[in-house]
Amino acid sequence: MEPVLKVENLVKRYAKRILVGPPQDFLALDGVSFAVSSRSTLAIVGESGSGKSTLASCIACLEAPTSGNIWFEGRNLAHSAESELRKTRPQIQLIFPDPASSLNSGWSILEIVAEPLALQGKLGRKERELLACSLLERVGLSAEIAARPASGLSGGQRQRLAIARALTLDPKILILDEALSSLDCSTQAQIANLLLELQDTLGMTFLFITHDLTMAAHLADEIAVMSAGRIVEHGPTPDVLRNPSHEATRQLLAAVPQLPRSSWPAIQQ
Amino acid sequence: MIRRRKIAIWLLVLGTLHAIVICAGFFAPYNPIEQDRKNPYLPPMRLHFVDTQKHFHLRPFVYPFQLRAGTFDQYVEDTAQPRSLHFFVAGAPYRLLGFLPARLHLFGAGSERIYLLGTDAFGRDQFSRLLFGGQVSLLAGLFGAAFTLLIGWFVGTVAGYFGGWRDELLMRIAELFLALPWLYLLFAIRAFLPLTVNPLEAFFLIVAVIAAVGWARPARLVRGIVLSAKERDFVRAARGFGASGFYLLRRHILPETSSVLLTQAAILIPQYVLAEMTLSFLGLGVPEPVPSWGNLLSNLQQYSVLVSYWWMYLPALLMVPFFLGYLGLASALQESPEPYKIERRSLGSLA
Amino acid sequence: MMRYLLRRLAHALLLILGVSVLAFLFAALAPGNYFDEMRLNPQIAPETLTALRVQYELDRPLPLRYASWVNSVLHGQMGFSFAYNSPVAPLLLVRAKNTLLLTVTATLLAWAIALPLGVWSAERLGLLPDRVISWGTATLLVIPDLALALGLLVLAVRTHRFPTGGMVSLDSQSLSAAGKIRDLAAHMALPVAALVLSSLPLLVRHVRAAVAEVLQAPFLLAAEGHGIPRLTLLFRYALLAAANPLLSLFGFSIGALLSGSLLIEVVMSWPGLGPFLLEAILARDIYVVIGGVLFSTIFLAAGNFLADMLLYWLDPRIRMENTSR
Repeated sequence: MEPVLKVENLVKRYAKRILVGPPQDFLALDGVSFAVSSRSTLAIVGESGSGKSTLASCIACLEAPTSGNIWFEGRNLAHSAESELRKTRPQIQLIFPDPASSLNSGWSILEIVAEPLALQGKLGRKERELLACSLLERVGLSAEIAARPASGLSGGQRQRLAIARALTLDPKILILDEALSSLDCSTQAQIANLLLELQDTLGMTFLFITHDLTMAAHLADEIAVMSAGRIVEHGPTPDVLRNPSHEATRQLLAAVPQLPRSSWPAIQQ
Repeated sequence: MIRRRKIAIWLLVLGTLHAIVICAGFFAPYNPIEQDRKNPYLPPMRLHFVDTQKHFHLRPFVYPFQLRAGTFDQYVEDTAQPRSLHFFVAGAPYRLLGFLPARLHLFGAGSERIYLLGTDAFGRDQFSRLLFGGQVSLLAGLFGAAFTLLIGWFVGTVAGYFGGWRDELLMRIAELFLALPWLYLLFAIRAFLPLTVNPLEAFFLIVAVIAAVGWARPARLVRGIVLSAKERDFVRAARGFGASGFYLLRRHILPETSSVLLTQAAILIPQYVLAEMTLSFLGLGVPEPVPSWGNLLSNLQQYSVLVSYWWMYLPALLMVPFFLGYLGLASALQESPEPYKIERRSLGSLA
Repeated sequence: MMRYLLRRLAHALLLILGVSVLAFLFAALAPGNYFDEMRLNPQIAPETLTALRVQYELDRPLPLRYASWVNSVLHGQMGFSFAYNSPVAPLLLVRAKNTLLLTVTATLLAWAIALPLGVWSAERLGLLPDRVISWGTATLLVIPDLALALGLLVLAVRTHRFPTGGMVSLDSQSLSAAGKIRDLAAHMALPVAALVLSSLPLLVRHVRAAVAEVLQAPFLLAAEGHGIPRLTLLFRYALLAAANPLLSLFGFSIGALLSGSLLIEVVMSWPGLGPFLLEAILARDIYVVIGGVLFSTIFLAAGNFLADMLLYWLDPRIRMENTSR
């Protein structure tokens, strides 16, 4: 099947120019290539600084890569004009790591969820409100709280809100950039299950970026391991976990806290 | 909540003070330009309730002055001719708010004159000049601050949002403006403009000059806010929904600048009132006979006035409440909305 | 270290250059010039005026005038004063010395008072001494500078304690050296007091805020646990840690003091740059005005440079940032 997203040789270089002295460049992505099939979940794991967030920004068209290709729906997003990108961005939504800063805390919950719709300007106010409330219910938030300010929500509730907001424009791809990392364990599990359910019903593709291998194992069909701006290993989840071929993967596996043999989770399946 | 109440209180104080100045025609007994050449440099007339026969009068009254025998600059009260103060009297015509013709004044004494703050060299009532002068000085301060903030807001937004060479250029220019002590800059700009202009032109000139001096600091502040807001996740998220730059600025970024602009306004307005006062004091501002707070104090530059007529200083003290009001407002605005208590760390508590 | 020094120096010089260009631009846009007043005088022939204008190069295009002015600066002349018929630089230097005397004294005194007051306030945050000092500074802050200066003047006149104008008494030549110093000090007392009182509130507040924040830091608690005496803690640990914001404040306070000194010199007849500049403005003596403005910029840039150097010396983090790896 044709992959819904194909990344070829993506390079992102940050140039740091000071007035005197040689420029100090920082290479965040050093030739990243992979493909994602429709309705699947690809987990991108790696330690801090491996370039995962930069990759997410580039795919979501929030930053322009230095070179390389990003193929989505027949278009190369790395070489598209701003006006083209503005039409494409709603299709690839990004959920941010910190739910507190990804929502404008001065706004009400309804305003936040309905913002993308208001931006697109296609629906009337009543219709926007209805759609927004239905999406709130979808992610497990009650529509009654819609009028309240967003500042009163807990971390898990905020991420649900962020997901609801992302869903309003019917995206094809949802990128979750460490979206669960700031939540406590039980909330993480709840939202992970929500995501699985959404994927089943809406047929979405997920890009799950994390440093948590256990969560990746739970959610992903394929795992790609990143280290120093490159993908060093890529394969179906069980293969990567059982037979890691790269040192980076092995280090990540070793970092997973080991529970006593009798209660090993499904990671060992 | 406490912060909001404090802000409200200070706004009330300022509003009352400004209302008095705006309705200067009503609160002042006389026209500030009216001269009384026979009575120059009169000291303030004191309000009395008890007369020389120890009778109490509910209606306050004042005594006119007469020269002490043998001197020509010392006055004594002439207790033989008390003048009663009447309230809500008809007096010299004026225009309320600039266009409503009216004749009602808060107080007066009929055909006699009452000088609560004394008179100046031309016999003009200092109290009236204080109130009318306030209109000029406060208005100059308000307009100047408004223009400065407008310029600073625009420059800061462009620099912060677009970044790159625009940011570099604008901030370098701002640095130039900040490299000069502001009064020198003010003078330099004023110096290079026509010196003798009519009062209206002078007023606008001063406002323009003042505004041109102070835009750099607000610009830097706004730039900082726009820069950091631009990178906030909710702005990036909005970009993800297909928002245009204009939308981002309007809905997300610029609202973040409102608090700093308000605080800057409360800080800048008194500074600019002072700037106008300084210019007028030195003869570079609003020219005579239009009163301004600077004009009011300018004759204190003469030694003879300092020695013999020191009460000419009193209007300066009455200007203080205005500055107090702005200071209070600025303090209240700068308090964080949820003030946390800074623990007092007194040394020696470990002993 | 040298590279940082040179970089800051280059920065300061560029700033001064930029200001000179700005000042010249303003002068170009200015309507009217020194000789306009003379035009009204029927006794002066128009040809004389034209000749004078050519002599003073007023009819040449602006960039050329700027170039010749820069040339004049490099030769130590800074243009020509129409009113005094002399190069600008010597006139300004005399006045600048007096202004410097005033400003430097006021700066030192103001900081010498503000630092202990601010540190004490920060240590006794919320208690009586802090409250008293806060109220005191608020009162001072509220009185506009002009009113403050004039008020001091009125007080001086009423109490006959201080001389109210000028820099030295008429008979100062005949005094002994000590007498001369005392005379100078007596004349300086009022202007310096006015400058110090007007800048004190802001300084005290900022010192208080900076030190209060540092006092929260855990490292201070640890130091106290080591038994370090209180005064050392306050002045060598806390104050040094607050050096960064305070030194920026120092640079800013110099600018404020220079501005303040302009007004106070005029009010109190102190023969510094202030009254001279004012006179030049009223007479349209543009090279004097440009020169005066330039001098004030140089002082401010020098003050900021000094602050930068002090900070480099005091704050190891700045040193680390600026040494090449």
